[in-house]
Amino acid sequence: MSRPPMRRLVGLFCCISLGLGAIVMRLVVLQVSQAGALQTKALDQRVREVKLSAWRGQILDRSREPLALSLEARDIYVDPRYVEDPWNTAVAIAPLLGIEIRDLLSKLTADTTFVYLARQVGLDLAGRLEALHLPGIGFLPSPRRIYPAGPLAPQVVGFVDIDGVGISGLELQYQSLLAGKPGERTQELAENGRPIAGGIDVEIPPVPGSDLVCTIDRDFQYQVQAALEEAVQQNHARSGTVIVMDPHTGEILAMASYPWFDPNDPAAARPAAWRNKAVTDAFEPGSVNKIITAAAAVQEHALPLNQRIAVPDQMQVGTFTIHDSHPHPVEQMTLGDIIAESSNMGAVMIARRLGSTEMASYLTGFGLGTATGVGFPGESPGLLLPLEHWTDTSLATIAYGQGISVTPLQMISVYATIANGGEWIQPRLVKGWIGAGDTYHPAPAPGTRRVVSEDAARMVTRMLAYAVQAGTGTAAQIPGYQVAGKTGTARIPLPNGSGYYTDRWIASFIGFLPASEPRVVIAAILDQPTTVYGGVAAAPLFQQIARYAIERLSIAPGRSLRLPPHALPVP
Amino acid sequence: MVLGLVSLNALLAQRSFRIDDLRGQIGTLSQEQLQLQHEQATLSAPGRIAEWAHRHGMRLPDDIRFLHMPSKGSTEAPAGAADLDLETLKEALEAVT
Repeated sequence: MSRPPMRRLVGLFCCISLGLGAIVMRLVVLQVSQAGALQTKALDQRVREVKLSAWRGQILDRSREPLALSLEARDIYVDPRYVEDPWNTAVAIAPLLGIEIRDLLSKLTADTTFVYLARQVGLDLAGRLEALHLPGIGFLPSPRRIYPAGPLAPQVVGFVDIDGVGISGLELQYQSLLAGKPGERTQELAENGRPIAGGIDVEIPPVPGSDLVCTIDRDFQYQVQAALEEAVQQNHARSGTVIVMDPHTGEILAMASYPWFDPNDPAAARPAAWRNKAVTDAFEPGSVNKIITAAAAVQEHALPLNQRIAVPDQMQVGTFTIHDSHPHPVEQMTLGDIIAESSNMGAVMIARRLGSTEMASYLTGFGLGTATGVGFPGESPGLLLPLEHWTDTSLATIAYGQGISVTPLQMISVYATIANGGEWIQPRLVKGWIGAGDTYHPAPAPGTRRVVSEDAARMVTRMLAYAVQAGTGTAAQIPGYQVAGKTGTARIPLPNGSGYYTDRWIASFIGFLPASEPRVVIAAILDQPTTVYGGVAAAPLFQQIARYAIERLSIAPGRSLRLPPHALPVP
Repeated sequence: MVLGLVSLNALLAQRSFRIDDLRGQIGTLSQEQLQLQHEQATLSAPGRIAEWAHRHGMRLPDDIRFLHMPSKGSTEAPAGAADLDLETLKEALEAVT
């Protein structure tokens, strides 16, 4: 047997060496020069980053009953590439989702990789669908916002969009506080999708949103809405607004605008119903504004309280003739009588004694023409012309509440100022919030400013009590209680600004009780009631809500205030 | 040493599965709590209670009267005290009883 030639052995050795050398070189390239890039690539394949949504905080009423909360739900989607049998898949899903088979088929066969079939589906239904194990159908966690009390203070609470972002009301105003901060989880997964034990698993936990505690009293709000709905229907009004406020803290206990809607299904209502008209819509207040004229007159001693002046039923102002709501002979009236009888001419005569500068200063002092600071989205500042733009008639018409516009919230704040001894207090809808670790953070104290003295406020209160006892507001009386308040019957301006409708009115009554130690201020406003007058349409609504307030807040009668000097007989 | 490393690895794996399980449990229990809270809020909603009461024949009283008894030693008459004479008070009490 001959030995293999040496040359062939050397050749084989060289080949093996070259092969091994090439492998080593490749290993060096892979393990050294490209190591970083390849490692990153491998990690990209194994590591998955998942965004962890923060749980949205609840909105609670003042007793911490939930008005809005979030529940876990599922978004159902399809990746049409993986759907094996579109027809049978559609037939299986359609009855569960309540979607037409035809519509489903178009989604199941779409030329894309992701289509939503349904969003925010309850866990029960999602579980039933999941159990069908249909290829191509997937599920994503998606919290659903629920308003358990339905249409209760919907314009105040607001609602969120499909992605859980607040788009109106407190949901919008406190979006960042309620939303919290999303977290992130990074995990190393095996090919089968299971986490690799001991692999990367880092979690930055989400920070849940805070729970917002608002000032609304859920039960009170319900009673207010029930009373408002009834009043709107009885008086055939177009809409209505009620606000209930604590005059000493500025807290809004109830705020309702009819018509309202169910925030669980806002799309079912007209968008106009979404507006919180108590804050966003300004109106010409009419005679309820006379309280400012009276307060300014008392504070500035524009007319001695027991002095009677001759009040006609009409007068010439510039090129216009203005007149009282009803014809009457010239009457001798005190300031108290002017307020109680809601005399337009009397208010004009008082305002003339004050002058435009003083009048404008008190209007702004009481907060007219500027937003209240409640911070509610879309709050209107109302309309108060700057003094330099006042015409001959401005002072006269503003004295009885026409020619300016205010929001119901601004107007109730004026009455709250008088009830609070002459100190304006910023209204508020939020008491505080509950953050991490169930820590309660009270909202900042409301801003205050003195507008009139305590004595002046007390005198105006006596006039308002007189208006209820003997004037235009008798329908607001409550046996056993002394109520202070004022009626308003305001004309509605034409859209082109050329004058006023002759057959459309806003009826209002704003007041508080008990007169001596006010516990609650209530504004009742009806838009275009067929019963026209504030004393007929709105005062009974005020009275109904005030009676409930007595029960709900355990309000004692308090002592009786003396009526102001007056010329009219008191029953 | 190899045995120790393997044991440690197994222990870590076991712990990681346990953590995952506990996370799942926390999630489920939190959801259950929220679901119960939702049920409680829905059931106690004033609108639902009023509707239930109405269905069962209950109705709001037509005329509520507030009776305030001055505390012992109080000499101050409440605002509406003069409105209620003895006869009215008797009538009101009879109506209640």
